[in-house]
Amino acid sequence: MLEIKNLHVKLADEDKQILKGLTLTVPKGEVHAIMGPNGSGKSTLSYVIAGRDGYEVTEGDILWNGESILEMAPDERAAKGVFLAFQYPMEIPGVAGLTFLRTAVNAVRKKRGQDEMTTPGFMKYVKEQAAKLNIDFEMLKRPVNVGFSGGEKKRSEILQMAMLEPTLCVLDETDSGLDIDALKIVSDGVNALRSPDRATLVITHYQRLLNHIVPDKVHVLADGRIQKTGGKELALELEKSGYAGYTGKAA
Amino acid sequence: MNVAIPKTKAEQSLSEAFEANAAKLPGSAAVQAARATAIGAFNKLGLPHRRVEEWKYTDLRVNLKDALPPAVSDAALVTAADLAGALGGLAGLDATRIVFVNGSFRAELSDGAAIRGLEVQPLSRALTAAQDKVAEGLMRTSGPEGDATIALNTAFMTDGAIVRVADGATLAKPLLMVFATAGAAAQLTSVRNIIATGDGSAATVIEAHVVLDGAAASGQTNALTELTVGQSATLAHVKIAAGSGKSVHLANWNVSLGRDATYRGFQYTSGQALARNQINAVYAGVGGKLDLSGAYLVRGTEHVDTTLVIDHAVPQCESRELFKGVLDDRGRGVFQGKIIVRPDAQKTDGKQMAQALMLSPDAEFDSKPELEIYADDVVCGHGTTSAELDADLLFYCMSRGIPENEARALLIESFIGEALDKVEHDGLREALSRSANAWLSAAKG
Repeated sequence: MLEIKNLHVKLADEDKQILKGLTLTVPKGEVHAIMGPNGSGKSTLSYVIAGRDGYEVTEGDILWNGESILEMAPDERAAKGVFLAFQYPMEIPGVAGLTFLRTAVNAVRKKRGQDEMTTPGFMKYVKEQAAKLNIDFEMLKRPVNVGFSGGEKKRSEILQMAMLEPTLCVLDETDSGLDIDALKIVSDGVNALRSPDRATLVITHYQRLLNHIVPDKVHVLADGRIQKTGGKELALELEKSGYAGYTGKAA
Repeated sequence: MNVAIPKTKAEQSLSEAFEANAAKLPGSAAVQAARATAIGAFNKLGLPHRRVEEWKYTDLRVNLKDALPPAVSDAALVTAADLAGALGGLAGLDATRIVFVNGSFRAELSDGAAIRGLEVQPLSRALTAAQDKVAEGLMRTSGPEGDATIALNTAFMTDGAIVRVADGATLAKPLLMVFATAGAAAQLTSVRNIIATGDGSAATVIEAHVVLDGAAASGQTNALTELTVGQSATLAHVKIAAGSGKSVHLANWNVSLGRDATYRGFQYTSGQALARNQINAVYAGVGGKLDLSGAYLVRGTEHVDTTLVIDHAVPQCESRELFKGVLDDRGRGVFQGKIIVRPDAQKTDGKQMAQALMLSPDAEFDSKPELEIYADDVVCGHGTTSAELDADLLFYCMSRGIPENEARALLIESFIGEALDKVEHDGLREALSRSANAWLSAAKG
């Protein structure tokens, strides 16, 4: 279970408060969506969960399975099952996709006390997962994300997610830059990972992703706090009326 | 106004060492005369210092404090196993070997079998056995006049390889020239190679400068390679200078490309307290293609300088340069790349890139690209970058579970990988990649 308690976050080198007492619980087996206007703190929340530098938690805590993760380095969090699918996945020139995946998978397995994957075992697994996401295997021999289209980058993120077998998935604006076909492939990939052992947090500005990844709950984030929580119908409501009621100004 | 600058201790010892050892250096009377002329030139020049434009960032008067006694003859006991240890990843390479220890040819460590189209012989034999005129010819270089490192090489060189690849020959295996430093006494080893490839030939030549386990760490090497690439010939040339961390490496490559020739040169440098890699390349015929690249790894107070002069003397030639340095601690990287395009060298196509990855705020990178273009129909460009490891990329890798030290190593490898990819020979590229990885792992320890 993910428990975010009264989280206050400011930028580390600027006096700017972004999250102002955010409280949220996502039990295992559930998919929650966070929707909110631009600048509401959605991406900040995802980065703070994953452990990116540049943010300072001034109050509150983030617990994953009852344990605070705030003091953990990003790689330790990954070993504990935390995965962030980036809004803008990074390009790593000079590192082949397969090398990157294998390094990551084995690093995580080692820390989880599992055996490292053998080369044939790894290759078989990658091929299966890549095929599910409609990723050309040849693409994985190229440097990570270099020269990939927006849709290819997002699919590559979901492939990494599938390979690392996280138990907490955070998807930051995974729908941005996707056409309808890519949206379907990515959503299918995420849905395939739905399981009673896994908690998922889908961060999005638009409702359309939630047609494909149907959430158990929807939270509205505005001005650094959860303003409202409801069922999947809340997303449709937001699509109609916008965020204006939550920000005090027209969105 | 000429003011006599007092000689440094190193300059003084080099002059004295020559007088003391001249009679023991190999070669006929004509060769000895050429050596005497060279040391005379050096005595006038002295070690280059920062007021000499080409040596602005690498002041040998300051950085080369002690000159070591020259290696003259060698009796160090070296076994094939010792050599394999020092060669590391290169040891398993399927290649034709010629081995020199402390600047002396070692037949027992070299391959004796004849290879069709390849002729290799030790320079020392040629200097001694050839007629005076021939031997004297072997002493000449095509390098820049007035270069102290070249003058010192002529004065002190003891051996090296004379390599000829026949017209039309394609060598199946690379030629691996090994220059090993051995023995407890630190010396100045001076070697010269003369490589000429025939028209339409294809060959790969590797120069590996290595330090044997247990050898004096602070050895100095002065290595000069003269290369003439035949018409329509392809030559891949790779130099590996993997030092002890205290060694000094001064190297010159003087390259002449024939009509439509292709020359691919790569230099890997690590563990050198002080290294200066000079490459002087000139096109002797139209249509030549030159591709120079390199990777160097620097830590502590090490200093690696790459200085290139590419002379587009004739039209329709192409040059590409890509040099990448990884600089840690207080290490310093220097890149100087001069491209000269002569008035009638139309349709010249030159591109140059020098990049440094700064792992420490105290590291320094000095880059001086120079384009001297006298023709009007040319495409020439250069670029320099220096950057730290990308914090966002580091976070991205770590968020995938990769520990920080592994993530850093992965990103550093990715940085130099682009340069290593220029090495076309698979086994050689992998050996270089392993050396680089070993260097990176040592950084963690």
